[in-house]
Parts: sequence; C-alpha cells; structure tokens
Amino acid sequence: MKRYLSPLLFVAMVMFAIAPVLIVRAPYESTMGLVQKIFYYHVPSAMMMFTSAFVCGIASAMFLFRGRASADHIAAAAAELVVVFGAIVLVTGPLWARKAWGVWWEWDFRLTSSLLLWMIFVAYLLVRKYGGPGSEKLAAAMALFGMADVPFVYVSVNIWRTLHPKTTVIPELPKPMMGPFWFSVAAFVVLYIALLGIRTALGRERSELERAFLDLEEE
Amino acid sequence: MICRNFGRIAVSLGLLFAIVGLTGAVLGAQPRERQPAVRPSVWEVPPQPQPPPAQQNEFVPLKDLPPLQQERIPAAPLVMGAYAFVWVALLLYVWSVWRRVGAVQRELADLRRRTERKA
Repeated sequence: MKRYLSPLLFVAMVMFAIAPVLIVRAPYESTMGLVQKIFYYHVPSAMMMFTSAFVCGIASAMFLFRGRASADHIAAAAAELVVVFGAIVLVTGPLWARKAWGVWWEWDFRLTSSLLLWMIFVAYLLVRKYGGPGSEKLAAAMALFGMADVPFVYVSVNIWRTLHPKTTVIPELPKPMMGPFWFSVAAFVVLYIALLGIRTALGRERSELERAFLDLEEE
Repeated sequence: MICRNFGRIAVSLGLLFAIVGLTGAVLGAQPRERQPAVRPSVWEVPPQPQPPPAQQNEFVPLKDLPPLQQERIPAAPLVMGAYAFVWVALLLYVWSVWRRVGAVQRELADLRRRTERKA
C-alpha cells in the first residue's frame, strides 16, 4: 500500500480535531443561531458525495468503454465513499432541519433527489456484492446514472421552490465564517483522497489475490 | 500493538461519543414549553402543558387572549448529535477498510507460504 496514504489519513484526522475549535469561534448566524454550526460538516460532506459520484461515474465509463481494470477498482472505492458521505448528509441535514424548519424531513426536490442519489450507489454496492459474474459491468452502468443525477441535485434549489437554501449561500458567506468553512472543506478533501487511495489499493490487492489463487489452482 | 488496537479504540470512543450525542439529539429535539429565564438543561423533565381554554361564546380581543405556548427545540443536542454521527460514520468506515485490508494481506501471506512450500 502506498506509503503516503497512512500519513495523509493521520493529517485528515488532525484537521478534523482542529475544525471544531474554528467552528466554535465562528460567529452565530442571526436567524438560526447554534444549529447553523451543522453547516460546517453538512456542506463539505455533500461536496464530497457529489465529487465521489463523479469519480465513480468517470471511472465506470473508463471501465465499460476502455476495459481498464484499475478504473473498476477506483469506481468501487468511490461508490463506497458516496454511500458514507451521503449517509452523513442525510443524517446531519434532518438534524438541522428539525430546528430550522420544524420538521425532520420534507419531500422537496433537493432532499428527495439527494436520497435517490444515495440509493443509486447503495444499489451499486449491492449489485457488486450479490450480482454474481458480470455484475461489475452492470454496476458501472448504474454509476453512470448516478453521475447524471448530480447536476440535477445541485441546481434543484435554484430552479424549483424548495425549503433548502440556494447555492448562493456559499459565495455570499460572511468573512468570519469563510475560514472555518473552507478549513472543514480542506479536511474533508484530504480525508477523501486518503480513503479513496486506501480503498482502491484494497481492490487492487484483492484482484492480485484472486489471480494468485487461480495460478495456484492451474499448477 | 497500538496499530493493531487502533481500530478497536477508535471505534469504541467514536461509538460512545455517538451514543451520547445521538441520544441527546433525539431526546432534546422534542418540542418544549417556554422555559423560565434560567438556562434549561437537556435532561430536565419539561413542565406539564396547560389544558386548552374552554370554547369561547363571545368575541375576545387579541390583547386579552392568554399567551401562546411556543414550541422551543434546543439546538445543542442536535448539533452534538450531528457531529457525533459524522465522527462515528467516518471512524466505522476507516475501521471497516482496515479490517478488510488486514484480511487480504493475511491471505496473501498464507498464499505465498503455500507457493514456497510447493516450490
């Protein structure tokens, strides 16, 4: 396994330990107060979920159309990360919504399409695990649909009437909130790269193990 | 030895933190009566709600109506629960990947030994 991955994971954990200190020092939002602090983990998780869906979709396309086995390992790793970060988004969001909107969940376009995106990649993992021979290609095709869903999820708040804040919130963030927010984003990015690398290496080692077993049987 | 137990220690701490945080979030997110000026504790039993007023038979001006019972949801348990969940989810995933890596490396080492014995 590549030597830089463990130190990268350690750096990410340290950044995650520092982030709450910066978040506590950030000013309170005027209408939502303390509950708005969930924003500093909820939004970066959503960014990583979207990024991972794109990585999975692109890697799946390379696996389907170019036949690259290494792309399949990256796609499987990215799909797991979509599910992990998606779960974080879908749990932290309702905890925030309970206070901000008075309800845990609302079937508006942003929330519903995010849930659908998460379910597509859960289905990807189930197909890979239980689909039998050839399931990698079927799962790769599903990942293309998952990737196509991401732009809809992102622009939904700007096009349709939803409870969810619009995408203009980030560019218009006050300066004292920008620092903690972008530090959280950086922590999530470093963690994402480390986890993607480690999980991809696991996929590669599994393939080597299968090849070694086949060679042993042939002998 | 620390590396071997790292996964278990990390998951145990993360789970403990998450259980406390999530329990506080679910309990604390129940609507509460308007509290007095003293800062309310999450673990306090909320005061019993007042019975609804009797049906009125005549016009009553707004200023004479009793004050509305406003729903107050404390934010701290929700924030704690959210952060606890993030930590637990990430630590669980790291532990899961570490476990799978360990299993694959053990099988690879075992396979190498069998190949060497055959040779």
